[in-house]
Amino acid sequence: MILLKPGLYLITSFIALLVLAVPFFLVQASAPFWASAGIKVLTGTEWFPYEMLFGMLPAIIGSTWAILIALFIAIPCGVATAIVTTELVSSSLASATRMGMEVLAAIPSIVYGLIGLWLLLPLLQSSFDLLSGHSLLAAGLILALMILPLITLMSMDALRLVSNTQREAGMSLGLSWEALLFRVLLPQAWPAIRGGILLAMGRALGETMAVMLVVGSLDRMPEPIMNILQPAQTLTSRIGREIGEAAFGSIHFSALMACGLLLALIGLSISLFAHTRVVKA
Amino acid sequence: MHQQLNSIETVVKPVNKIEVEASRLCIDHLSLQLEGRAILSKLSTTLPATGITALIGPSGAGKSTLLRCLNRLYEQWQGDITWGGQSILNRDTDLLRRQIGLIGQKPAVFPCSIRDNVIFGLSRQQRRAIADEEIHEALKQAALWQEVEHRLGEPAEHLSVGQQQRLCLARALILKPDMLMLDEPTSALDPRSRDIIERSMMELGKSMPLLWVSHDLDQARRISNHILFMCDGKLIEQSDTESFFNHPKRIESREFMRWSVCDC
Repeated sequence: MILLKPGLYLITSFIALLVLAVPFFLVQASAPFWASAGIKVLTGTEWFPYEMLFGMLPAIIGSTWAILIALFIAIPCGVATAIVTTELVSSSLASATRMGMEVLAAIPSIVYGLIGLWLLLPLLQSSFDLLSGHSLLAAGLILALMILPLITLMSMDALRLVSNTQREAGMSLGLSWEALLFRVLLPQAWPAIRGGILLAMGRALGETMAVMLVVGSLDRMPEPIMNILQPAQTLTSRIGREIGEAAFGSIHFSALMACGLLLALIGLSISLFAHTRVVKA
Repeated sequence: MHQQLNSIETVVKPVNKIEVEASRLCIDHLSLQLEGRAILSKLSTTLPATGITALIGPSGAGKSTLLRCLNRLYEQWQGDITWGGQSILNRDTDLLRRQIGLIGQKPAVFPCSIRDNVIFGLSRQQRRAIADEEIHEALKQAALWQEVEHRLGEPAEHLSVGQQQRLCLARALILKPDMLMLDEPTSALDPRSRDIIERSMMELGKSMPLLWVSHDLDQARRISNHILFMCDGKLIEQSDTESFFNHPKRIESREFMRWSVCDC
């Protein structure tokens, strides 16, 4: 038992070092790329590794579109599901919904990708008369399905945490259910819901396999830029698709590491922001 | 405090006898079961048209539950509750809750300014149209005006518990209720805040019926005109305050007054 405390300190120190080592490793691995290509690649539109062109803008825009579509669908659906389950239906039905969401959250992402391939792509192909269903819309829809459980579960917890005293105070004032929802429940639950949305954004940003299977992996800018029905590329799908082809230590390999660093920095920023919001909530 | 009480007296609404009679609350054989357990059983009474009725009894007697039934927070009861001759179940729930205000044991202020808390129960149009004088009047009626006169824009959470309780009272009063129910409103307050609320309620009791749940027999004797004594979900005795404390009819009432417990 004498060694317990030192042992715990040792393990914690190792984990802390690991956390610091990941960004250090990414910076180190991508350093040759940044040194040769420079920061201007962030606005470049051409990605042809064998011609030493590493424009990252199409993938950045692809990732942004996919996340925006996912959030646009998942936030209203998730919050609405949470409102219905916590406020309107019986507790047994609410428990069943919660369990269903937890099951959805536990499904591996590759399974979502396969569902997308099997169901979503043919549906989009026939609905919008596309060559194939591979598109930013498909990526956004799959991501929406994947982050929906997280947003729903966080929103359910947030609404449940609004005290009964506040609810009864609102009801005693004769507030209608709608007024109670929009003036008492949602404003008080919103900080925690917002934290859940930011965590979901982090997950959507880092998702690789499911997106890779449905996005089309075409390195070009959408034309026009609002066109979400074209095949495109995201940062994660590019890394997933090309890392096997890149020679270890090459500039191509280093460029993919740079994509990883970019993702890590954005994800880290979102996580830190989400953490401060959740803690405040 | 005297200044505050003077200001309360000036703003109390005049009593309109027809209105008062129309707003009498009658309870007829009210019973309620929750999770198979009888919480209220065959409770019948008619509340006086004005004055404070103290609802007393040991913990678990069903006092707070009765208030929740009258406010329709519970609706699965048997029997009948009428308000102005009409069953409360046939009335619009939101309107009924505005007419019969309920102040809880713990003050529940909303995370907004003192001013916004006072007008929280009003509709959007009413909130836009309301004159500052009406807000001031509600705060005066709740004996809070002098303490918040220059800080109406501050967050309500900055007030003390006693002030928050009076803010809840002002929030209920601005809706111009016909009756107020108070569920141990002073149990968490210091003696000064308790006295202020008691006096402002005694003034209000001259113009509307008040139903006040209290564990404190001294307080019930001090403030009320009528007593309802409940135990184990039953209404054991009801009478005017003086008769109840000087000549209790039931042995349970005498025991409760002596030991603050009841063997029902």
